Amino acid sequence: MSTKSVLIKTKKILLKQKAVLAILAMIVLMLFFDTQFFTVYNWLNIFRSVTVQGIIAMGVTMTVLCAACDLSVGGTMCLSGVIAVLMINFGVPIPIACLCALLSGALVGAVNGFLVVHQRTEPFIITLGMGTLLKGISQLLTDAHPIACTNMSFMQIANTKILGQIPILILYMLVIFLLFFWILRFTNYGRNCYAIGGNYEVAKYSGINTLAIKWSAFIISGAMAALAGILLSSRMNSASSVYGDNTGMLVNCGVVIGGTSFAGGVGGAAESFIGIFVLQLMTNCMDCLGIGSYVQELLQGIIIVLILGFDCYSRLKKREHA
Amino acid sequence: MEKTINVKKIVLQNLVLLGIIVLCIVTAIVEPLFLTQDNFTNILRQFGPLSFAALGMTYVIIGGFIDLSVVGTISLVGVVTLSLIDPIGQAGALFCGLLLGTFLGFLNGVILVKFGAMTQAEVLFITYGMSSIFGAIALIYTNSETEHMSRLSNPYTIFTFIGNGKIGPFTASIILFVIALIIIEWFYRKTLWGRQIALMGGNKTAATLCGYNMKKTLVLVYTICGLFAAMGSIVLISRVTTASPVAGAGYETDAIMSVVVGGTALAGGTGSGIRTVLGVLLIILLSNCMNMLGVSTYLQTIMKGLVLVIAIWLDNRKEQQIH
Repeated sequence: MSTKSVLIKTKKILLKQKAVLAILAMIVLMLFFDTQFFTVYNWLNIFRSVTVQGIIAMGVTMTVLCAACDLSVGGTMCLSGVIAVLMINFGVPIPIACLCALLSGALVGAVNGFLVVHQRTEPFIITLGMGTLLKGISQLLTDAHPIACTNMSFMQIANTKILGQIPILILYMLVIFLLFFWILRFTNYGRNCYAIGGNYEVAKYSGINTLAIKWSAFIISGAMAALAGILLSSRMNSASSVYGDNTGMLVNCGVVIGGTSFAGGVGGAAESFIGIFVLQLMTNCMDCLGIGSYVQELLQGIIIVLILGFDCYSRLKKREHA
Repeated sequence: MEKTINVKKIVLQNLVLLGIIVLCIVTAIVEPLFLTQDNFTNILRQFGPLSFAALGMTYVIIGGFIDLSVVGTISLVGVVTLSLIDPIGQAGALFCGLLLGTFLGFLNGVILVKFGAMTQAEVLFITYGMSSIFGAIALIYTNSETEHMSRLSNPYTIFTFIGNGKIGPFTASIILFVIALIIIEWFYRKTLWGRQIALMGGNKTAATLCGYNMKKTLVLVYTICGLFAAMGSIVLISRVTTASPVAGAGYETDAIMSVVVGGTALAGGTGSGIRTVLGVLLIILLSNCMNMLGVSTYLQTIMKGLVLVIAIWLDNRKEQQIH
């Protein structure tokens, strides 16, 4: 193999992984500035800030792989946090409260799944409406005030540190990431998800129980969003109906940026994680450089449009070649 | 036997109208104030920004796409228009505002065409990105401060008229809306360009094979949507006499909801502006009735989500039953 073919191959891989390219570009860019970016503390901070959206993204990946999407995760996350904190304040033991919150997320996912899979509605609009509905329920439950958790041990769930200074949130993220990576790559269930997203009819006639698997993807997505909601509330030691306003859109964007295609059947846990990581890393870089929040929003919008746009563009070229 | 099917079909096809009538009757019985002239004017006033935004969105959805960027467009056009009243006068500001909205819509369309975004999902996220770009520009432009008309030195009578004027029992904004509706519906139903929108939503491949340039049609629907969002924005700032850089928040969901509740299929190809008007009316009446009955705002948010979910669900079932 000559150096030239290696170069071409590297170029191909990099073009395919635009998100990785973006990460490398950002890290190189930060070398030119004298900031706190390259400190252990900052990197721990980046990883910690990725966790909540990262965990949601794992669930959303399942739905996106099945050629659907879930925009209600923001509302689910918010509601599960509210339920957990309210129940704990009411005197319910913490594990039971967390379990109830998780179940609420799974229930939301089940309803979404029923409407999308069994009633064949358009997933993004149904989940968008569901997000609004859940937001309303959270507002009703909290009277639109942030509520603090009175039981201090709830805080321990997400604020403990292991091995000296590593936040435990990173460990949770790692465990869930590995779990999803394993499920999607090495189990029948995960491979069936890819099959359903790749070609629904073929999967159906191959004997895969498409309805059940697609439905379960939504339930998992809801449960993961609920888990993220519990962790977020535990980290903040409070719950509020304003959490997760943009989360639904951002996480779905992140998943697609990473390379999990909306057409279904392409992508995976690692890709989605990278996609979310790009968005968070960018926020962190801009924070380090002291860029104002409005300009950050502008740059984030531009990056989203560019990465997704080039994704579409490469698919267009592929269609033209075919 | 055939007759029962027909009745069922008619009911299914006019579910919105039925909903509006039931809602009116129930509210009128519980709260007689609902039927007063004041409340009628009040309802017409609320017809403002949302109806324009929803009307523009209708044609995007008929074309088989979706546009989340109305949030950013409404915010940006609002602040730019208001800030231009002082330097170039009110008529100029109004014109520039509409031009800016049209341009933003055009920009959306061109970007989507250049990138070759051809499915609803791709379009959804790219327009979301565009929306945050427009919104961020609005925030940077105003330094996140709300602009007030009362602080202007130039006169702003046109805006006052749009916001508060009345001709007979009708508000100025509703008359403008009806004029806009007639023009756009004529365009959609009677011109070749308009029919191409429906064709694109119905079957893109067939449309391309017929020799129509779908790229131009795509740019056209987004330009229309941008223009209408700009009109909505101008009605909004005229009504509240301030322009906030985050004024557009929530309009995308409401607009999509009005379109879908009205009965325009999300899959594209069918629907009309008039159906959307019914959808908008239902949503406005819903909030008006709940206000009259003293329902809390939080419950209203829940109701909104519920109506959206149920409307899409019923719409889907209807499609399945008719075919």
